[in-house]
Amino acid sequence: MEKAIKLCVNASMCRGCGSCQLACSFAKAKVFNPYKSAIRLDYDPESGHTAPAILPLSCNLCGGFPTCVNICPYDALSTEEKPGLNYKILVAV
Amino acid sequence: MPRHEEWIVHVDLTSGKVTRNKVPDQVQSDFIGGSGVGWKLIADILTPGIDAFSPDNYICFNPGVLTGTLTTGAPKTTVITKYPTISSDDGKQYIGESTTGGRFFGAALARAGCHHLLITGAAPSPVYLRIRDQNIELMDAQDLWGQGIEKVTNELVRREGPETGVVCIGTAGENKVRLALAIVDKTNSLGRGGLGAVMGSKNLKAIAVNGTGDVTVARPEEFMAISQQLREKVLQWPGREHWIKLGLAAGWDTFKHTQYPGIWSKDRWEELYGEQKRLEAVEEVIPCNSCMLSCRLKWKIKGGEYDGEVGFGSPFSKSATSGMLLGVEDYRKMIHIVADANSISGVDFYTTTRMIDFVTKMYQEGRLTKEDTGGLELKRDYDTYLQLYKMTVARQGFGEILADGWYRLKKEFGLDPQDYWYGGICKGMDFIYDARPSNFHPLMMSFFTRPRPHHGGSHTRTNSRNKTIQEIYEQVEGWGLPKDILDRIFTEAPYTGKFNVGRYNCYMEDMMEVHNSLGICSIFSQHGLLFGKDMVRLYNAVVGEDISAFELVKRGDRIFNITKVINVREGFSRQDDRPPEVWFRPMDSPEGRIEMHDYYNLHVITREDVEKLLDDYYEERGWDVERGIPTKEKLASLGLQQYVDALPDAER
Repeated sequence: MEKAIKLCVNASMCRGCGSCQLACSFAKAKVFNPYKSAIRLDYDPESGHTAPAILPLSCNLCGGFPTCVNICPYDALSTEEKPGLNYKILVAV
Repeated sequence: MPRHEEWIVHVDLTSGKVTRNKVPDQVQSDFIGGSGVGWKLIADILTPGIDAFSPDNYICFNPGVLTGTLTTGAPKTTVITKYPTISSDDGKQYIGESTTGGRFFGAALARAGCHHLLITGAAPSPVYLRIRDQNIELMDAQDLWGQGIEKVTNELVRREGPETGVVCIGTAGENKVRLALAIVDKTNSLGRGGLGAVMGSKNLKAIAVNGTGDVTVARPEEFMAISQQLREKVLQWPGREHWIKLGLAAGWDTFKHTQYPGIWSKDRWEELYGEQKRLEAVEEVIPCNSCMLSCRLKWKIKGGEYDGEVGFGSPFSKSATSGMLLGVEDYRKMIHIVADANSISGVDFYTTTRMIDFVTKMYQEGRLTKEDTGGLELKRDYDTYLQLYKMTVARQGFGEILADGWYRLKKEFGLDPQDYWYGGICKGMDFIYDARPSNFHPLMMSFFTRPRPHHGGSHTRTNSRNKTIQEIYEQVEGWGLPKDILDRIFTEAPYTGKFNVGRYNCYMEDMMEVHNSLGICSIFSQHGLLFGKDMVRLYNAVVGEDISAFELVKRGDRIFNITKVINVREGFSRQDDRPPEVWFRPMDSPEGRIEMHDYYNLHVITREDVEKLLDDYYEERGWDVERGIPTKEKLASLGLQQYVDALPDAER
C-alpha cells in the first residue's frame, strides 16, 4: 500500500541554523546552497525568529525519508506517515 | 566536483574600485585557505608602521574553508587588521585576527565568492558595502550613521532579504573609540581591540552580504559521511541538553571559579549572578550557521528599572565579573549596559567597565582629581558608571581619555595599567580571565604570546580546569603530533609539573590557526568533540588533498609564524610578551588567599617559572629564545624566507 508522508514544521523549535537547507541542497545537487534547496528561511529581523518554509513544488520528500528531518538538530521538522494516497502535506504546527 | 577555490575581492573605499582575483593554488595549499591565506595577503600588502586609522590600513574578512558547508558547526569568519589599541609606552599597535560566527554572515560571504574581502581606503562620506554575489557597491549610509547596530542591521536585512549577513558598527566605532568592536548578525561580536574604530575611520558603517553561489567540496560523498559521523557524536554528547538550553550561560559552574574577582563570597555571587538569575532572563538560545550547539542568546530583562528590555549576544559572564568588580548587585543593571554595548554603541564591555572600575577607585584614593576629570566627581555608584560609559562611547569630556584605552590613562595621569587588580593587561588589552582563580592554563599563556591578546579561537580541552593528563594526551595525539613532541609536552619539570603549558601552547596556537582557517568553531574542541584528525578528514574532502593531521598543524605553524613576523616588523618582541604583574600579587578574597598556581593547582607559579615556560615556548617554536622572535632559519624552513627583512638586523 502506498503511504502519504506528512512533513511537519514546528516553527517554535527552529533556531535558524540553516542545516535543513544545506542538507537539502546537498541531496539535490551535491552542493551547499540554501537557494538550491526546497526550503526558504523565513526570518523576522526584529524578533530574530526564524522558521523553515518548505517549497511544495521543489520538495520531493527525498523519496520518503526527508534528509532535512534527519539533519535538524533542534527537532523543528518531523514526519508522520499515513496509509493511503501518495502525496505530501506540509503544515506549520 | 570542482576543488574548493578561493577568491580575493579588493575594495578601495576611496575610489570605489572593486577588483577580483583568484588565490594561486599553491598559496591556498600552503596556508590552508581562509584566514591563513588572509594573513599572507596582509603580510604582503599592509604598509609597515602605519597608524591603524590611516586610510592605507586594510581590513581582511576571511570566511573559513568549511564555512557554508554542513558540519557540526563551521560558521566562522576571521578578520585581520591593524588594531588601534595602544599597546606600549611608545605607542606600538599590533596586527591581529579576530573571529566571529553568526547565522548568516560567513556563509553568505562564502557563497558570494568573497573568501578574502580586502577593504582599504576611506570613503569621503558614510557608506555601507552591499554585496550581492559579484555585484559589489558602496551605498550611501548617511541615513544610517549615528544609528544603533540593531536598528541598522534590521534595516539592511529588510532591504536585502532574509539570508543577508550583516556586520555593523555602532556609535563608538563612528567616534573612533579604540574600544569599539563590530557586531555580526546582531548576535556575535567581532574585533575586540578596535575593529569598530577602524571601520569608523574608513566611514564604513556596515557590510550587507548576500550570496547565491554554491559552496562546493571536492569529494562530496566522503565529506558528508564524515560530517554525519561527527554530528552523531555531538548529538550523543551528554552536555548538549544543558548547553542548548542556556548557550554560553551554561558555563556558570566552571566560570564561578575561573573568573572569580575575589570581592564577594562565591555564595553571594551565586545568589546575585548565578544560573538561576541567568535562567530568569534567557528568552532564546541562538546557534550560528550549521551549528548543533547554540551559544548566543536573546534575553529579556524582567522587572526593575529596565523591565522589558531585550538584547542579543551573551551578556551573563561579562556582566557577572564586572558586576562584582563594580559592586553592582542587581544583574539587570549590568546587562542593561551590555545591551547598549552590543546593540547600539558597539563597544567592548569588558574593557570599558574595567577602566571605569579603575578610574573610580583611583579617584577615591586621590590619584585622580576633579581637575583631571574635567570637574566630574567619580563616585562608586551605578549612575556614575553609566555616565562614564556614555561619555566614553561619545568621546565626551573625561570619556575622551577613556576612549583611547589603558595606555592613554598612563600617559595623562601616570596610572599604570599594571596596577589594575583583575584579569591583567598585556599589549594594552585586559584579559577576560585572571590566572589566579583560573590557574596558569595554556590560554593564559597564549594571551601574552599571541600578537593580539584575546582568545580568538584558541579553545581546547585545557580551557577547563582539571582535565586529566590522559584527556589532554588524547587531544594532542588527535592533532597528529609525533611522539617526540608529546614526550616534551608531558615531561615533568619543577616549574610546570607534569604538563608543560609552554610547549603545549605552541601547538594550541597552531591549532587555533587551523580552526580559524577552516572556520570551524573551537567550542567543539573545548568539549572534546572534534580533534585535528577529524578536521583534516573534512579538509581533505573539501580541497581534494590527502594530508595528515600533523601536516595541518605544520601549516598552522606557518601561519602563526607569519602573524608573528609582521608584528616583529612593527617592533614587537619578547619584551612585549609579558605576563601581567597582577598575577604575581595574591588575591585576598572572602574565600581565602588565591595565588597563581600551575594547571593542576599543585604549586604556586612564580615569575621565574613563567620565564622558564616562555623559554620552553620559544624553543619549541624554533625561535630566538632571548628575543622571542622567529629566526631566519625557522622562516626559511617554512618557505617564508621573503619575510626575513622583517627581522631586526642582527637576525638576518
